[in-house]
Amino acid sequence: MNSSLIPSIWRFLGLVAVQTLLLKQMGAAVDSIYFNVLLYPLFVLFLPMELSAPIAVLLGFAVGMAVDLPYGTPGVHASAGAFSAFAKPIVIAVVGPKGGFTSKELIFSPHHVSWQTFLQGSSLFFFLHLFWYFSVDAFTFVYFSSIIFKTVAALFLTMIFVVLYAAMFNPKR
Amino acid sequence: MIRLLQLLLKNGGFVTLVFVELFCFVIIVQYNTKQADIWANTADIYGGRVLEKRQNVVDYFSLADRVDSLNRALDSVQARLANVRQMQVSIRDTAFLFSYDTIIGTDSVRRKTIRPEYEFVTARVISNSISSANNWLIINRGSDDLVGPHMAVVSPNGIVGITRHIGKHFSIAMSVLHRQTRISASLKKQNTFGSLVWEGGDPEVMTLKDISKHFEDKIKPGDPVVTSGYSVMFPKDISVGTVMGKATPDPENPHFLVVKVKLSQEMSDIHEVAVVRNLYSEEIDSLKQMIKQ
Repeated sequence: MNSSLIPSIWRFLGLVAVQTLLLKQMGAAVDSIYFNVLLYPLFVLFLPMELSAPIAVLLGFAVGMAVDLPYGTPGVHASAGAFSAFAKPIVIAVVGPKGGFTSKELIFSPHHVSWQTFLQGSSLFFFLHLFWYFSVDAFTFVYFSSIIFKTVAALFLTMIFVVLYAAMFNPKR
Repeated sequence: MIRLLQLLLKNGGFVTLVFVELFCFVIIVQYNTKQADIWANTADIYGGRVLEKRQNVVDYFSLADRVDSLNRALDSVQARLANVRQMQVSIRDTAFLFSYDTIIGTDSVRRKTIRPEYEFVTARVISNSISSANNWLIINRGSDDLVGPHMAVVSPNGIVGITRHIGKHFSIAMSVLHRQTRISASLKKQNTFGSLVWEGGDPEVMTLKDISKHFEDKIKPGDPVVTSGYSVMFPKDISVGTVMGKATPDPENPHFLVVKVKLSQEMSDIHEVAVVRNLYSEEIDSLKQMIKQ
């Protein structure tokens, strides 16, 4: 096994635990359709940049599925996880420097890229993930405005936790 | 399996994503009640549209069958119409006039006494000629369809011919444009009758012979000519055509008149016809034998 993946394994376990034990309970306590915090996509965002795309997609699917089972929504988070894993390289290319990153930056974290780039990239990344998630959750674009409202509200809440996480751990690899 | 994995790794994330999302889709509609309901509804709506489209295609390709069944329906309607005419004649004696349906529906005794006289078999003309001295038609009905020799062939516009040679599935009919044609026809306004023959030449014109001399001044161009009903083959009042010009004395037999008749059925344009089957032709023929002896 590639040793660069070991921190990711810990992140996988930690983020799934936080998502399903803490954030799920918070959502149940607040009980509003607009209160959603999805932190587990950080696992996908912090996957090594050099990881091949098919592997990343499969890992995105895996973390989504791990969240889906406690949530009782098989396939919904998994679909969004796989999609965001596919979208991640595109997001990084959009917000990153011209010509791409050098091989020195191992993961897309504030430690390697600037805080500004990280915030831009993670906002776009989470927006895509949340939009896909709420679309699959609604399963129809009839309520498109509702999907957009939920996405924006969840993005605002989620970004608070993302910034907290990045400031606390600021992972190097 | 290994090759499939290699393909996935080589062609990058997109192929993987498509497979994973398809897999997710299956799981979602399988295990999530809300999404499964929405999917079932959507599938119903689109499935219904697809089924409708499919039905349209199927309908198009079954048009031939439907035309056939419509023709059969037309047969029964024509038979009914001819029989109504027939019945009006027979009931006139008793000073009552019933519609066919009333009789059929209510009066079993009368139904037994007033039986239908004709049946119609629709047919398609598959060969036709008009330019010879004796012309023939071939139709796509034969003995299997209860077509026999010496049955009238008519079209919606008028008389067409008489069957002569019968095969299993096809028959040859003598066109009215034939030297041997001799059909009893009447002038409807004058209420008199004669024999309709074809003297060759113009395929749109026939000659009505043997008309009584005293009608000479009463016959005018445009007067309708119909079948007289004095024949086993042709039912009464089937259109033949209209009078052309004035009646003139017959050069061969000066006691009678002849008149030219323009046919109402253009003989060069015949496609759908019906063969008229007289249900009592055998009985009438055997009666005729008696007066010959």
